Amino acid sequence: MKKILIVSAFAVSSMFAHTALMSCFDNGDNTITCEGGFSDGSSAKGVKFHLLQNGQSVLDGTFNEDSEFTFDKPEGDYEAQFDAGEGHKVTVKSSDIAE
Amino acid sequence: MRKIIISTIAAAAVASSAFGHFQMVYTPESALEKGTTIPLKIVFNHPFADEHTMDMGLQANGKIKPIEEFFVVHKEEKTDLKKDLKEITFKGNSNSGKAYETEYKARKMGDHIFVAVPAPYYEKNEDAYIQQITKMMVNVAGAPTDWDAELGLKAEIVPLTKPYSIWAGSTFSGIVKGDGKPVPFAEIEVEYLNYDVDVKNNKMGEKAHFEAPQDSFVTLTIKADENGKFTFGIPKAGWWGFAALGAGKADKYDGKELSQDAVIWVQAKEMK
Repeated sequence: MKKILIVSAFAVSSMFAHTALMSCFDNGDNTITCEGGFSDGSSAKGVKFHLLQNGQSVLDGTFNEDSEFTFDKPEGDYEAQFDAGEGHKVTVKSSDIAE
Repeated sequence: MRKIIISTIAAAAVASSAFGHFQMVYTPESALEKGTTIPLKIVFNHPFADEHTMDMGLQANGKIKPIEEFFVVHKEEKTDLKKDLKEITFKGNSNSGKAYETEYKARKMGDHIFVAVPAPYYEKNEDAYIQQITKMMVNVAGAPTDWDAELGLKAEIVPLTKPYSIWAGSTFSGIVKGDGKPVPFAEIEVEYLNYDVDVKNNKMGEKAHFEAPQDSFVTLTIKADENGKFTFGIPKAGWWGFAALGAGKADKYDGKELSQDAVIWVQAKEMK
């Protein structure tokens, strides 16, 4: 019992100790690449990615081995979202994505 | 007893004559919120007093030798940037010196470590050469990737604190290494970049931010411990340079004495 408590305490604290991060850039060929990660340096491989327009998800995927997700640049405004669960979401607006 | 006194004086003479030379690899902001193109200036000067800007690569015969290496490391991958460098004349408050500039697309998330290996510079006052192997890094979007890496430089300060996320009033720690080995009791000069850098016009701002109450405050000198480790309390926000003198093994160049130094730049931020 004691062991279980200790383990779970660690798991919780490590979850709160880091921050989810994402940075996106325009590749200049009508595609956008978003890179995900965590402030402790851990990989974002397998973390969910959503592409949102007008609050609706228009594309879902997961970050690859290099913690990257590349998609075709949609028409109009959009938001890229890194989704590692509650408290670990990061949203980047298209207006903040530089070439 | 007499011998000890003499040797101390001799050491002091050597140290003081080498005071305050700092190879800068400068960009205005080291902690970038997102990927962007950044300016880089490679200037050899005295960042606190700005009393002299050296011609990078000046040889004893008056010729200028080009910079030996300039590269960036990101996610353990080294990319040459030397071919992108442009020669410039950088204007300090007392004179101008030969320097370099370029722009870099810091696009990918994580740490981008810049390394400059200038050709040794002939310091006439000492009849000796100085070569400062310099590290400066920027981070994109807060993800740590390479900041603590040892790059295997001939003279290197390996940081134990992220050089781009330091609060003013906290500390910076590092280990001085020469050819991969810690340098016990290494002598480290510390200087504050006391002027704004006019990136557009390649010159120093005219007004110093702080005044030294006495000469020993212009170039602060600290020493590493027996394991080559040091910690320095950073009192103010801005860029701070650390130069470990003679950390590298090479001590002769062109038939003269050479000081192969390890330099690192860190940037502290005000809590507000």
